[in-house]
Amino acid sequence: MFNIHRAYSIARKEVMHILRDPFTLALALGLPVILVAFFGVVIDFEVKNIGMVSADYDNGPAARRLREIFLSSGFFREIPANPGANPIEAVDSGRAAAVLYIPPDFSRDLRGGKPVAAQFVVDGSDNSKGAAILGYLPGIQRAAIKKITGAAPAQGWEIKTRFLYNPELNSRWFTIPGLAVMVIGLLSILLTALTVAREWENGSMEMLLATPVRPLEIMAGKIAPYAAIVLAGVSLIYLVARLGFGVPFAGSHLLFLLACLLFIVAALSQGLLISVLTRQQQVAMQFSMVTGLLPSLLLSGFIFPVESMPVFFRYFTMILAPRWFMEAARGIFLKGAGLAELAVPFAALGSIAFILLAVAVAKFKTDVEP
Amino acid sequence: MNITPALEVNNLSIKFGDFTAVDNVTFSVARGEIFGFLGANGAGKTTTIRMLTGLLVPSSGSARVGGLGFEDGGRGIKKITGYMSQKFTLYNDMTVGENLDFAAGLRKLEPGYAKKRRRELFDLIGFTRPLSTMVSSLPGGIKQELALGTAMLHDPEIVFLDEPTSGVAPVSRVRFWALIGKITAMGKTVIVTTHYMDEAENCARIALMRTGKLIALGTPAELKASAFPGPMGEIDFKGAAPGAYIKKLENAPGLLELSPHGMRWHAAFKDRASMDAALEQIPAGASVALIKPSLEDVFIRLVEGER
Repeated sequence: MFNIHRAYSIARKEVMHILRDPFTLALALGLPVILVAFFGVVIDFEVKNIGMVSADYDNGPAARRLREIFLSSGFFREIPANPGANPIEAVDSGRAAAVLYIPPDFSRDLRGGKPVAAQFVVDGSDNSKGAAILGYLPGIQRAAIKKITGAAPAQGWEIKTRFLYNPELNSRWFTIPGLAVMVIGLLSILLTALTVAREWENGSMEMLLATPVRPLEIMAGKIAPYAAIVLAGVSLIYLVARLGFGVPFAGSHLLFLLACLLFIVAALSQGLLISVLTRQQQVAMQFSMVTGLLPSLLLSGFIFPVESMPVFFRYFTMILAPRWFMEAARGIFLKGAGLAELAVPFAALGSIAFILLAVAVAKFKTDVEP
Repeated sequence: MNITPALEVNNLSIKFGDFTAVDNVTFSVARGEIFGFLGANGAGKTTTIRMLTGLLVPSSGSARVGGLGFEDGGRGIKKITGYMSQKFTLYNDMTVGENLDFAAGLRKLEPGYAKKRRRELFDLIGFTRPLSTMVSSLPGGIKQELALGTAMLHDPEIVFLDEPTSGVAPVSRVRFWALIGKITAMGKTVIVTTHYMDEAENCARIALMRTGKLIALGTPAELKASAFPGPMGEIDFKGAAPGAYIKKLENAPGLLELSPHGMRWHAAFKDRASMDAALEQIPAGASVALIKPSLEDVFIRLVEGER
């Protein structure tokens, strides 16, 4: 009961609208570029060059070594304390994020074989920075013990950390594959929401519905061109990630394409559903921004890991397509995960896409009154 | 030639919540007729047409269009009807050719047949511009004619036109109605809504609607005869102050209708005797001419007079 010719006619008409509407074209091609520039170049999730004040009450050789080890790690730079002021003043005033206290007699006690301790005070008001600093400390501590005492760490063993898939913990490797979720999530929802709402708003939907065309044919015709546009946007991001930022791609391209397609269908259906329900471009736009941007940005694991979300949100993200796509995209990109490892995200994406499309088609009334 | 009526509508009603937009409407339309819906905004003309084109589902009552019912969701009806809505006609950001191709695609017309129909319709409406013309650059009247052509691309038996001439220059309106005449001469049935009284005179029959109800139905002549069984005079005061006399006239026995028309007044009476009696005291200098009531007079009497 589905006629491909009618769907094709709708799709062809849609392409003409797109080609003659500079806003749609600019949005579709500009958004991926802006996102890549923003997240790949401007925003750096790594914390470096943290301001640190040394409160060295010892001034011995071991104390100087300890300071050098902190500074040579590359994570810290020294900020001079104001003469006569308490060193913590530099943290209070925001000039520094940490203070290294080295007690008097540090070097002498160390030479004498007594246990010694230095204190590192970290500004906890910025918790992402604080957490990053805490992550650096064990490594610095190990280096200090080894370099200053020349001894292997206590008990003759140490824990070594090696990061798989992204050995340098390069945040761009992690971020840029995730940008696909933003582009698809926002672009597909917004573009489809606007296109159907526009037909209702200018009255052309009434003209369409007075012909024997079926809702499914209208929807398929509307979805196809935008799916192509969004896929082009994702390809653009893929190329920039691979060629521009050297992000490795470990998995199967076919699988990545499948994940993209599933997510695109889910997102386009969500856009359709919004416009079917609102029938107004303005309202559809606002709904799309809220339901398209926020889950992709905040609840997909793009910025905040799903595992560290409050319990409610950890379960809530399960009904959101962006979360599953993010899991699949990162798995394929960096880990080279196959369908077996990603069975759950793929099954979830497929189900969400199917449900959203079914609801959109069911809610599409051929009745012109709301 | 199909002998079933173009439209058979029985007790058709539609409610939106508590609001009854169309209330128990019954009428039928013969093949080849120009059937007009006349009424103020919100009278239910558009809603009636939307039900008959399958765009709205009636709350009660039944309708058959071209002998077909709505059992299949109106798909059969949509194949044999053409519809031109008042809000939207053609895509402005597409060319004439693209709009027609799109209409042909929606109707699944063979490319050869669509091309032949396009030529016939261009001849009919006298369209000579190139296919590559952007619709946005067409004058309003030509755009409406082209929209009518597009709605008829699949050669429908019945054409619904919802306010096709609203916002169109008077000269173009006359052209458009000439076109409607040509279409019905080809055996098509045209159902048209309008709020222009002069246009309604072109209809074979008129359905007058007020607040969802069909309050009068007939040929223009029948409507005039039933609304005004007696004579109607047009009083021209020629500069004399009408105030005091109009007050007196309002209470004259046998007066059916009194309404201002610019500087003149139309006064309709039950019969000739009451008219002569009432007009005896007409102020000096004023004159009275016996006129035929127009549809506008009918409209004022039937629609606005009973508020």
